[in-house]
Amino acid sequence: MNNADILIGANLSKRFDDLEVVKDVSLIIKEGEFVSLVGKSGCGKTTLLSLLSGLEQPTKGQVILNGKEITGASEEELALFRREHVGFIFQSFNLIPTLSAWENVALPLFPIKMTNEQRQDRALELLNQMEMGHRTEHLPAALSGGEKQRVAIARALINNPKIVFADEPTGNLDSATGDAIMAILSELHKKQGMTMLMVTHALELAKTADRVIRMQDGEVIT
Amino acid sequence: MNYRYIWKEIRHHRHRTLVNVLGIAVGIALFVSINAVSAAYQRAISLPFKNIGADIVVQRAEKRSLDSGQPPASMRGIRLPFSNQILSVQDMEKLRTISGIDAMVASLLLWEFDQGGFKTIMGVDLTAPSLGPIKVKEWLAQGRFPEKTGEAVLETHFAKFHKIKAGDTFTIGGRSFNVVGLLEIKEGSQVAAANIYLPLADAQSLLGGSAGDINIAYLHMKNPAQIDEIKTQISKTLSGVTVTSSDSFLELMGGMSQISSQFSLVVSLVALAGAIFLIIKTMVGNLVERSREIGILKAVGWTSSDIQKQLMGETFMQAIMGGIAGIAAGYLISYLLGYLSIPVATPWELNLTPAFAKIAETSAKTIRLPVSFSAGLTAAALALSLFAGGLASYFMGRRMSKMKPVDILRRL
Repeated sequence: MNNADILIGANLSKRFDDLEVVKDVSLIIKEGEFVSLVGKSGCGKTTLLSLLSGLEQPTKGQVILNGKEITGASEEELALFRREHVGFIFQSFNLIPTLSAWENVALPLFPIKMTNEQRQDRALELLNQMEMGHRTEHLPAALSGGEKQRVAIARALINNPKIVFADEPTGNLDSATGDAIMAILSELHKKQGMTMLMVTHALELAKTADRVIRMQDGEVIT
Repeated sequence: MNYRYIWKEIRHHRHRTLVNVLGIAVGIALFVSINAVSAAYQRAISLPFKNIGADIVVQRAEKRSLDSGQPPASMRGIRLPFSNQILSVQDMEKLRTISGIDAMVASLLLWEFDQGGFKTIMGVDLTAPSLGPIKVKEWLAQGRFPEKTGEAVLETHFAKFHKIKAGDTFTIGGRSFNVVGLLEIKEGSQVAAANIYLPLADAQSLLGGSAGDINIAYLHMKNPAQIDEIKTQISKTLSGVTVTSSDSFLELMGGMSQISSQFSLVVSLVALAGAIFLIIKTMVGNLVERSREIGILKAVGWTSSDIQKQLMGETFMQAIMGGIAGIAAGYLISYLLGYLSIPVATPWELNLTPAFAKIAETSAKTIRLPVSFSAGLTAAALALSLFAGGLASYFMGRRMSKMKPVDILRRL
């Protein structure tokens, strides 16, 4: 394995009953690379992202993330691995409605032994970076879609991940807000060298990435 | 476990929290109130004996007569009650040979009949330890207790009825006595509730029998757990005597008094188990509502054990709140029930007044339920509420650990 290969998916397949959603997909993402996975709705791109990020186990194949094979790992091992190495950005933001913006950002740190002040300092730093310093105490219900996604991005970065997986990060946003979010992601990649794998159905957005992988009917076509 | 998160979940989901807290509170309130009221009944029944410091009373009833409810036409002057014939010196000596008896005191109960009605007169051994009718001297309302012959103390209602005050003289059996004090009979003390109390020697002199005549023996046990054993032993050693204890009151009473301490525990635990079952169903059901949150937590790196600790924290917090509310409600209900007076029927042999006097209230005294705070019951209730929380956490944990983040997030 090349040291620069942060994520390797080899011959990945995923079957749900009779339906094979991902068919023998292999791909490599290098450290610092911004890759977008594009395809029509239902082509298997979100399932592939789940396999590569350790949210789901493949029916066949192998995933090596940051030099560690995660296929066959237990749910607990995968959870710890995600906590240490992976960040997630979801289409529907997935914020906890009862927690404030900064608490949502600090959520992955809650099970880690550290003081609340340390968690808060780190969360506020990231929220300031996302230009959300004035909304830190607000609950998600009081935030706009774009603000919620900024909070979600900050949460994805709180554990200094090796790679960020973004599943349709602009899917629930209007085009202007979507562009602003894409600008943030792009800047993260360019300025901080963040490795990112983004799933999108919009080819225009996909082009923001260094490399575009197209999927169709569960297979990678380019 | 993150306390900030626990508190926010509890505060934001008020309805959910309220349902869970109320569920626990209802179960705990039932547990506390059933046990507190049952304990109060047990205490109420034991009061007549407890108030005179005795565990067992020994008497000898008249052989040929049962108190039929009809006064013999010829009955006038001082006489022995039907249920309290003389206990002989031999009887007392035999009693002293029985092991397990810590202290023994004797008294002489007399009835005096005249045209105005009847009086109950208790001859009290002034030299005796604080056991038996001598205990009434602790209930003096005025004056003092007799110190020598020729002195008497009257029960306040009796004194008021006869318009007698402390310092007056009063005639008993044709003899004049100085009334040196008045006393109020404590609630539930009908075993010692005579109209007149005077020195034992005076009572013996009024009866006109032998110098050492007595007709009631009050016994205090070294170990109260041996009461039944010693009662049997007394009945075997002294033929024809009646041996009574607190259980004699229990046998006469129905309803709640029949609920023994063990039975009330079972009933309350069954009620609590029902409540716990409902709480677990509700809390585990809440997990479906919270599956999105659990999926998010798992996706961002919380392990099942992290989530379980968090849920456990919330559950225990609710269990403590429910437990405290339940304990408060349980005692409130119990104290409200304590305002009710319950009739405590007195066994015939312990009733100091003649049955034919037809004074119902003297034979069936009412007592307010002596409900009291019990640290043990409170601790048990709190422990049970925590147990309920622990049980709910266990089932929630089992259900939650089977949830896979991707299955949850895919549904969103």
